[in-house]
Amino acid sequence: MNTPALTELLFKMADDQLILGHRNSEWTGFGPLLEEDIAFSSMAQDKVGHSQALYELLHSLGQPAPDEVAFLRPAGQFHNCIFVELPNGEYDFSLIRHFLYDTAESIRFELLRKSSFEPLAQLAHKIHGELRYHTLHANTWIKQLGTATEESISRLQHSLAFALPYALGIFERSPFEKELAADGIFEGEDVLQERWRAKVEEVISQTDLTLPAWNTIAPVLGGRQGKHSEHLTPLLDEMGEVFRIDPTASW
Amino acid sequence: MKSLDPRVERLPIPAAVGAPSPLDQFGTFEVFVQPKEGKPFQHEGAVHAPNLEMAFVLAKETFTRRFTCVSLYVVETDNVFVSAVTEGNQNVYDVLPDAKNGNGKEESFEIYHLLKRGKQPVHVGTVQATDAARAMLRARERFNSGAVVFNVWAVRTSDIRFTSPDENDFWQTLPEKKFRDAGDYKGGDKLKEFLERSK
Repeated sequence: MNTPALTELLFKMADDQLILGHRNSEWTGFGPLLEEDIAFSSMAQDKVGHSQALYELLHSLGQPAPDEVAFLRPAGQFHNCIFVELPNGEYDFSLIRHFLYDTAESIRFELLRKSSFEPLAQLAHKIHGELRYHTLHANTWIKQLGTATEESISRLQHSLAFALPYALGIFERSPFEKELAADGIFEGEDVLQERWRAKVEEVISQTDLTLPAWNTIAPVLGGRQGKHSEHLTPLLDEMGEVFRIDPTASW
Repeated sequence: MKSLDPRVERLPIPAAVGAPSPLDQFGTFEVFVQPKEGKPFQHEGAVHAPNLEMAFVLAKETFTRRFTCVSLYVVETDNVFVSAVTEGNQNVYDVLPDAKNGNGKEESFEIYHLLKRGKQPVHVGTVQATDAARAMLRARERFNSGAVVFNVWAVRTSDIRFTSPDENDFWQTLPEKKFRDAGDYKGGDKLKEFLERSK
């Protein structure tokens, strides 16, 4: 098993889940309706749970314990895409990000169900139901608001245009694409992106929203290599604030 | 003399009630949960939602985020037919109004019983009938077996948004999700010890 390639893959997945889980949890108590507040918070918790499971796998490959990697690394050592660290803004943006990101996440884990790295394949099987719910939730909202009123449609359309360049940053190529595919660990970002585009097109086509031509969107890259926006450090400061008071404390 | 008691002298009520104004919020949908394989579905509560599919999506986290669940379904509140609720030990099946045979086609209805006051209606079975009133009478023939039923619900099966078979793994990881419930804090021993010491 190619440990550096696997480590790179697991870190970017885990960091995505942790950062987006934290961002989405910022809606707790502020959601547009009670039921949605509960659902969105619960899914944010699922994401943090997924990140923990992935950090555990990294720990088994020789990385420090999950709490340490989650709370003590500086922004430059995080490998999440820039998309997930962007501030929430309005709920329409969070819904669009939830839809674009979770669609990619669920396809990624779908591909990983046949990964040659057995613990990852098992994790993919285990959380399949959670991801299925997350995408049902996202798709249902997008179809609902994407066909509802002039305001809801224009808000989603605006957020979609803003989000797409960042969303393409999810698929920034790893230096290990060949090794991951050759070892049967993961089919690769290009395969993932192709399937993601098809699914996004399928859902958007059931709404009054429009997608620009893919080749007109310039991806925002860099996150996978630790180059982040100014928004990540404040998030990490807040997230690790309590843990860093006493990293040796037992909770 | 004019009473000062607001229960006697109500606030001025307009003589004629006009058409109801449109809702300024979403309508409601009733949520039914199956806690374990082989157990009946039971009514859990309601969610607000713009339509049936959104209600299903929102009900899942609102009502099955904790404890155990294997399946869930929702139906619009307007599509739940509810009998009278009886007093004392009166069985509601003994006071159901007669209903003439409908002319329409028979459809499938789900039937729920309230057997304990303060609890929720529990699913008891399915009957075929032309309408909800007939469905309750059919239910009397089939499910009225001893225990006093205080309230009967009937729901047209075709009005329900069920969990589809490929959604059954929604709850697969639920048993692993540990929440800190009040019952998890075992303070009893510490309290006893404290009380002993302070004697």
